[in-house]
Order: sequence, then structure tokens, then C-alpha cells
Amino acid sequence: MLADTWHLFMKYTRITMRMPMWTLFTLIQPLLWLLIFTQLFKNFVTIPGMEGSYVDFFLPGVLVMTALFGSSWSGVSLLREINAGSVDKMLVSPVSRVAIVLSRVLHSAAQVVLQTIIILIVAWAIGATINLDPISLFLAMFSIFLLGVALAALSNGFAIILQREEPLVMIGNLMTLPLMFLSTAMVPKAFMPGWIETVSIINPITYAVESVRAVLISTDGLGAYGFNTAIVFIFAAIALTWAVSAFNGLRD
Amino acid sequence: MIQVKDLCKTFSSGTKAIDHLSLEVREGEILALLGPNGAGKTTTIRVLSTLSGFDDGEVIVAGHNVDIAPDLVRRSIGLVAQQTGVDYFLSGRENLLVQGQMYRMKKAEIESRIEELAKYFGLEHALDNQVMTYSGGMRRKLDIATALIHKPKLLFLDEPTLGLDIKSRQNLWQYIRKLNREEGLTILLTTHYLEEADKLSHRVAIINQGKIQVVDAPDALKNAIHGDAVILNFVEQGPEVGEFTYAMHEDPDVKEVLWQNDKLYLYVDNGGQAVPKFVALAARQGLTIDTLSLARPSLDDVFLKYTGTTFDDTKEDEGEEWWHQWAGKGGGSGKWAKNWQQWQDQLEEGGDTDAQQDWSKQWQKWQQNDGSDNSSADASQGNPWWQPSADDSASADSDKKAWPGRWPQDGEESDWTKRRDEGIAAAKQRFAEAGQEWPQEWQQSDKKDDHTSSESDTNATDHKNKP
Repeated sequence: MLADTWHLFMKYTRITMRMPMWTLFTLIQPLLWLLIFTQLFKNFVTIPGMEGSYVDFFLPGVLVMTALFGSSWSGVSLLREINAGSVDKMLVSPVSRVAIVLSRVLHSAAQVVLQTIIILIVAWAIGATINLDPISLFLAMFSIFLLGVALAALSNGFAIILQREEPLVMIGNLMTLPLMFLSTAMVPKAFMPGWIETVSIINPITYAVESVRAVLISTDGLGAYGFNTAIVFIFAAIALTWAVSAFNGLRD
Repeated sequence: MIQVKDLCKTFSSGTKAIDHLSLEVREGEILALLGPNGAGKTTTIRVLSTLSGFDDGEVIVAGHNVDIAPDLVRRSIGLVAQQTGVDYFLSGRENLLVQGQMYRMKKAEIESRIEELAKYFGLEHALDNQVMTYSGGMRRKLDIATALIHKPKLLFLDEPTLGLDIKSRQNLWQYIRKLNREEGLTILLTTHYLEEADKLSHRVAIINQGKIQVVDAPDALKNAIHGDAVILNFVEQGPEVGEFTYAMHEDPDVKEVLWQNDKLYLYVDNGGQAVPKFVALAARQGLTIDTLSLARPSLDDVFLKYTGTTFDDTKEDEGEEWWHQWAGKGGGSGKWAKNWQQWQDQLEEGGDTDAQQDWSKQWQKWQQNDGSDNSSADASQGNPWWQPSADDSASADSDKKAWPGRWPQDGEESDWTKRRDEGIAAAKQRFAEAGQEWPQEWQQSDKKDDHTSSESDTNATDHKNKP
């Protein structure tokens, strides 16, 4: 299964490398958000519950947002593969079925990690104060990677269940933006109305943002990171299991 | 190689896709599943290749039960599905490599197999180009090559030549034959091209509404039909011809005698044996045979016999994207371009000058048919308006149909000339109202019964005819 996953992962990586422009385009949106929001909310420093500049506060949010926007469309390309017959070609071979889903999800998450690295560099260039030690960076990337896996798995699962591109795009839109706004990606908890705060507690995005924040910006330390990342990990595990079982049900 | 017993499958939508289907494919043969779209061909292939589940029945492929040991089945089969499953962004070599890895082959083994397959299919020069740059025929070949990477014993081909032009199609047929003869591959292919089933397969299984109607060699199927038609045309027109016809009626070998358009149709069991007898008889009666032709029944007739409907070989366009049909991609594959080409070909063969003038009429007909009813549009394509319709019971062979009616004789006013004259009158009136003069170059159309007016004239009048 691992070898199968690796081979398929390499196939997707090769395909992605054939169109580097696409990867670049998915970067534009988070970059725009980073620039626009940090300019727009420059004076948020005065909000209670936030230390340092807004760029510092918002950066983990942008990183998570990249994961959110980058992975949530993974299902669209799965549908394309199904329609083009590539999936049938895999299914008719003895390749592990789990590997088909896993390779797609891992590829999507890896792509997201590459994108966040580029965004980190840009953020650093515009003056964010980031913990630059390699362990912090690695831990932050690991958390982003887990979130990428979770969202890509969800997207693939929905793709298999919905079978059509249009509703999948709709669900993607429906999922990404509220998840974004109903988390602590943009504003601290203290700034939220009560009900949003409640929602943000059950929103896995919050934990992803907080885990990145814990190692990259603040000095909350590994304890906070561990707790938040564990929750993201559970989220990813559930999403992946669901996607694999949906894929196994694909045989009509 | 394949044993299917009482296979049943109903889709979740409630459609019965396969209905107690039983089929046996022998080792080393090419078996064609022939049937119209929606007959259950693709579903059958999907079940046999472990892609689909089924409700009931027993399916044994390459010695293994697909339900119990799907992985063992998968190792011994190759599938070329309707959609080319090759990845457009990868090169041919990379596609083959990934496919080999799917079958967990060793790297060296994959590499040598890639060289072998590329050579076999003549893809060496394009192996490192992206598939995007391949032609349709090359893509198909690459698709087949990927399906063969693990040296399967059995190959499934689902509509292998759908959407290919005639040249690529024939080229592909050669490869399919070669794979069967030289590599000993058992091939199960589906098709809705009668010609393909006829020329390519050892046996044909006609499938309709999820059931196999009949399985046999194409020739055996055709022989089981009413027999051959011997079509005679005499120089003489006198009573001798009547006597000959009478003699034919009495002949026990002749099953049916029909006169159609000055031609005598004689239906017999074996045309080849009957012809010398007829010739001798005609000579004895002092008749001179002008033309003689022998028409064999086609698979179309076979299909008619077993399914109760003529084979609607019309779904060809489904292989094309709708915008290609309109855009006429590549200048030749568009639907309109096809119509035009077909019309031209028929003109060249037929040399029918009356038809030549009537392009605009033909065009209107296509246009009318195109929107509402696809089947009738395509029926008119396969069966041009100057040939008899398929339900013309007297015609024995679809290729040898005679003109059922006749053209308007000189001096006789036909519907066509009437409409034309009305159009000219209306146009003249409009010109008069606008104070314009009737153009000189249109003058000749005024003459009645002018069947040889140039094409531009006909167009002009026909446009005026439109409300």
C-alpha cells in the first residue's frame, strides 16, 4: 500500500510540475488577503486580547487559509479523473484502493505546505516577527500539513458522494469561508460575539490556527501546540477514514 | 476464458441494466458485443472487469470468480474503457510507467515492456511527448498499450474506435487483429458499429435490453437470415420477361420474387449457386441480362431479426463533445461538415443532377431534424432522402436499395417546381413593391421545368420561399 501510495503521489507531483502556473495562482489569494487585511486592520493593535502587530496575529490565519483554499478543491480534480477514466484505470488494476485516496490527499497537503512556505517568506519580508528556529517552523508546517490532509480528504469524500462538479464547488464555498470567519484566524476570541466564540470552539480551523500561532508567533510553548495539533490530527484522521470508506463505496 | 451465468444488475435508479445475461467467451477468440447504446454493453464490461458489482448470477473471468478473487481477475485482464484513461499532462512513457507500477512490476521489467509496446504500436518517436500532443488514434494506441503493460491474457475493449476517423479506425483494427493472432490475446470488445463487429470478430453476440439475443459467427448469423437477393435487369422489356418472372415464381428455390424499379429481385438461400441457373434460364428464353448483382444480408438484417428494430447506427455523435459537433473541429469531424461530406460523396457516386440543385433544401431538412428529434435526423443521414426508407419491405439489403418513387416527368408539375414557382412569384412581387428591377441573371429561373438551373438560382429561390 505504501509503495502504491508513493507511486501515485509521484504521478500527481509530476502532473503538478507540468503546470507550475496553477500552483502560483493558488498563492495569489492568500497573499492578497495577507496584504489587504494587514493594511486594513493596522490599528487593531488596540483590540483587547492581542499583543504585537496585526501582521503577526494574522499570519497564522493566512497560512491556515492557504491550506483551506488549497486543499478544498482537491475533489474537483478527482471528479475530473473519474470522468476522464483515469480512476477506472487504477481500479481495474490490483492497486490498493486506500492508496488512491491517500496519494491524492497527501499530494494536496504537500502542495499546501510548499505554498505556505512561500507565504512565510513574503510575510517575513513585509516585517512579521516569526520564530525562525527550524523546530518551530517544522512544527507549524506539520500542523498545516495535517489540516491540508483533513480538508483534501473532506473534499474528495464530498466529490465521491456528490459525483458532480457544481454542487462540490458550492459546498467548497459554503465550507471554506464560514470556517475561516468563524475561527480565530482573523480576530482573537475576546473580540468575538458570544455565539461565534462558541462556534469557533467546535471549528477545527481554530485549533489549526492556534497551533501554528503557538509555535510561530507567540511563546505559548509546546503544550498549547500539542493540544491544538492533537485535535487537528483527530480531525484529519476522521476525514480520511470517511473519504476512504466513501471511495470504497464507489463501486456501483 | 469468461463464463457468465444469469447475470442480473439493476441500477439504484431502478433501471434494469443487465437481465439474466449468460455468455461464454472462448480462449483465443475475438467476441464482439454488438448493441445499441443503453443495451448494457458497458455495464457488462464493467462487471466483468471488477469495476461494477452485480445483483445476481455468477461471473468467472480468467478462471477466477470476480466476487471472490477480484485481485486475481485484475492481474489477468486489461481494460480499455470508453474514455481514454491516459493522463494528458504526462508523457506516454510516464503513463506506461505509472500503469506498470500499479501492477507492482519491477522497474527493469516495466522499462523493457515500455520499449516493447512502443515499438509494437509505433509510438517510439512520441514516447516522451506529453499525451496532450497526441492524435486521437495515438491516444487510443497508448491506452491499449497501458492496458497491456502487465501482459494480460484477456483484453476488454469498450468501443475501441469510437470517435476515430476511418483511417485510424482501420489502423486500430489491424492492431486488434494482430494482438489476437500473434499474441494469442482473447479479446472481448463492445461496439455499435456493425462493420466493426463484422470484420473484426470471430463471433458476435447481439445484446439488447441487457440480454444476449444470439451469439454466433457473423457469417453464420447472416446465413440464417432470409437468404441472398439476386438482382437482375434485362435489356428486353417484352413478354419474354414476364415469362421468365412466371418461371421464377414456380421455382422452389426462389423464396420471393419482386419487381422494383425495372429490376427483378429474386430471394434465394444461396445466391452464389443460384446465379448460374438464372443466367442459363434467361439465355434459354432469349433474354439478355443487362446488369446482375448479388446482395448478401448484412448484420443490420440480423439485428432486425433478433431485436425487432433496425440497428440505429446513429449514436456516433455521442463520442464527440457538443461543441466539436458545431465547431467542425479539424474541418472534417463536425456534424455539419459530415453531413456535407456525405452528401458530396453521394452526389459523386450517384451523379444525380437534381439532387445537386437542392443543397439548400437538404440543409433545411437537416436543420429541422437536428433540433427536435435526433434519431430521425440520423436516420436521414444514414438513409438519404433519395433512397428508400428502411421500412421499405421489398429491399433485401441496406446497401442495395432502389429508388421507391420517381422524379417528376417533363411537363408535370411537382411539389418542388410548384414551390419554386410560388417563391419566384413572391420574390418578383416584393421586387416590384420596392420599385426594383428583377435581376437579369435570375431571368432563366423563370422558365418552367428548368431542372438544370445553376445552384445559385436554386438558393436564391429557396431563400425567398422562407416565410
